[in-house]
Formats: sequence, C-alpha cells, structure tokens
Amino acid sequence: MNRQLAHLSDEALVALAARSEQSALAELYDRYGRTAYGLAFRILRDGTLAEDAVQEAFLTVWRTASRFVPERGKASTWILTLVHRRAVDVVRREQRRRAESLDRAPEPAVEGVDEDAWLRLQRERVQEALRNLPDAQREALELAYYGGFSQSELAERLGQPLGTIKSRMFTGLSRMRELLGEPGGEMSWTSTT
Amino acid sequence: MDVHDLTAAYALDALDGDEAEAYERHLGQCEDCRTQLAELNETAGALAFGAVAPAPPARLREAILETAAADRSNVVPLLQRRWVARGLAVAAAAAACIVVGLAVALTRSSQTRVVTAMVALDPAGNATLSVSGLSAAPQGKTYEAWVIPKGQAPKPAGLFSGGASTTIRLKGTVPENAVVAVTIERAGGARAPTTTPILSTPA
Repeated sequence: MNRQLAHLSDEALVALAARSEQSALAELYDRYGRTAYGLAFRILRDGTLAEDAVQEAFLTVWRTASRFVPERGKASTWILTLVHRRAVDVVRREQRRRAESLDRAPEPAVEGVDEDAWLRLQRERVQEALRNLPDAQREALELAYYGGFSQSELAERLGQPLGTIKSRMFTGLSRMRELLGEPGGEMSWTSTT
Repeated sequence: MDVHDLTAAYALDALDGDEAEAYERHLGQCEDCRTQLAELNETAGALAFGAVAPAPPARLREAILETAAADRSNVVPLLQRRWVARGLAVAAAAAACIVVGLAVALTRSSQTRVVTAMVALDPAGNATLSVSGLSAAPQGKTYEAWVIPKGQAPKPAGLFSGGASTTIRLKGTVPENAVVAVTIERAGGARAPTTTPILSTPA
C-alpha cells in the first residue's frame, strides 16, 4: 500500500487520479471501498452484484476524476453517490431483492476484527441519528436509500399520497443533517498521521 | 407538482428516470435548489456509512486497480504531443502538505508509456518523490533526482533504478520555489546533471 499518500485529502487524491496516478485510486479505495461495498451489498443483497456496482463506480471515478469540482461537494460524497446510483439502477432493473429488504432480512454479521475504528464510529453515529427520527421519516429514508425504492413505489407500498412521502423524505433528511451536524460530526476523512 | 419539492428525493436517488431529468433541468435554473441539494447530498452520502454489511473480498481492490491500469482513458489529453512534460500543483492537502504531481507521456513509434511522478512536501521541506511507469534504467545507468533551489545549482537528491513504482526520500530539504528534476546518469550518479531532465516539476 502506498502509504505516503495517507496524509493527502480526498480531493487531492482525486486530482492525482485525474493524472492517472493509480496509487491515488488505490488510496481512495482503501478509504471508501469498504463503505462502498457495504452500501451496495445492503441495497443489492448479493455479493457479486455489489462487487460489480463498486467496480463500476470506482472506474467512473478514475475516468471522470478530471471533471470533479471540489466546490460542489466532498470527494467522498461524490464517490458514494456514484456507488449508490449504480446499485439503485441495478436493483430497479432486477426487482429481485425487494420482498427481502422490506422484511428487513437479518443483518449480515460484521467482522469487527478488521474493521476500522473510524468506520465503526461513523456507522454508530448514523444509526443513532436514524433512531432519533420519527418512525415514518426513518422508514421513508431507509426504504428509499437502502432499499432503492423510488418515491412513487414508496407511496404505493406504504399506501400514502406522494406528497406525504416527499415531505417525509425531506423532513427526515433535513433532520438527519441537523443530527449529524452536531459536534464531532465531520464525516470526511481525517488523517491521524 | 412543485419541482422544488424533489430535492430530497433526488439526493436519495428516489426519482424515476423522467422525474430525475425534469429535476436536473430545473436545477440548472434554480440557485436555491443547487444550494439545498449540495447540503442534502452530503447527508444522503453520510447514510452510506450506516449500512451494516460484510467486508468486500480482497479481489475487488485488485480487480478495480487492474481494470483502471488497462483503461487509461483518463490520460488522453496528455498524449496529444510527442513529449509532454506538464506539471501541476495539486490542491494543498490538510496539514499544509503540498503535492506537486507531474505526468509525462512518452510516445515512441507505436509504443506509449505513461509516467507519473509526484513530489510530496511537508512544511519542513522534507520531500518524497514517487515515480511510476518509468522503465528500468539502462544497463550502467541510473536515474538521479535533483533539487534545484531557485537561482542555485542543482543538488544531488538521490538515485533510483526505475521499473514499476519507486518512492525515495529526497536528500536534504526542498526550499520554496525549488524545482525537483530527474535525469539519467552514469551508474553511481553524478555531482551535477549531465543530461536533460526527463521529469521536472514546474519552475
């Protein structure tokens, strides 16, 4: 592993990736690959499909790094958005895991041993914030973000008017923003070196 | 339907194709929505960290890096000239560390090599040079790194043999406005460069 890149910001790594520096792509993967795979797996409920989605997303990072504009948002957000979009596209096409994720299939065990303490902390923070939302808002966010359901599908499944679903998503996400914005809430990579 | 209402759904990827297109068209004209979307995107991105799932298999990292290496589509702009040496100052990183990256595309007949080099500099002036894609130095030769302080003679900063990826810590410190360059020299190195640099950071 090319650890001399460890002190660089995500955005500097993207700039290097834009110049074909493969070690920069490797470092980005080392920072966000696990989260990316976890997200894709949660949506797709299938290891092979999750791998494909993550690979596609990182190749998009590689190919379009020169078009990334740091002023518009964090690099980590950009990467995870690419992963999410890819996974959602696949799940909507496949239609396969839907019943499962609605039934809240048992969560796969997490191997805590090799898990980064920082990642564990972030997961706990996000889960804690989700628990603090009213049930209806949490449900809308989880089904949309982790389940890959569109707002119209949600309206149908939950038997609610579309306007209600939209407002739950908006209020829920805004509330999440407040909850995560509290002290210690910086989600970006922080170097410990 | 008010398009403004779609910001959260868009951030969550919860719009169908045509709704998403309509929203994107609206985004082009609505500063408020752009600002709000930037905020909600960050929050939606944070949700990714909340997923509980197994670790990815090790082969995924390899597959991504191998495909990226084979892909190369992001170097196209650099291949337009026969010899291009182009430096760029990359965004200053967190702890005031500065990275100067340079990418060089060497085209010889049908063969194309892409060489990337990077100098990472800490605030005290200690620097490392990382080079990848450079073929091994010819027999009896070596690559030699130089630190050239502004207005002064080049100082030898270390030897390396190339091939695959190389990272060396540069000897001495790199003062502000100095140039870091690499030449090919006789094995054992020279006290002053005798050839034209094959790599150089921008002056």
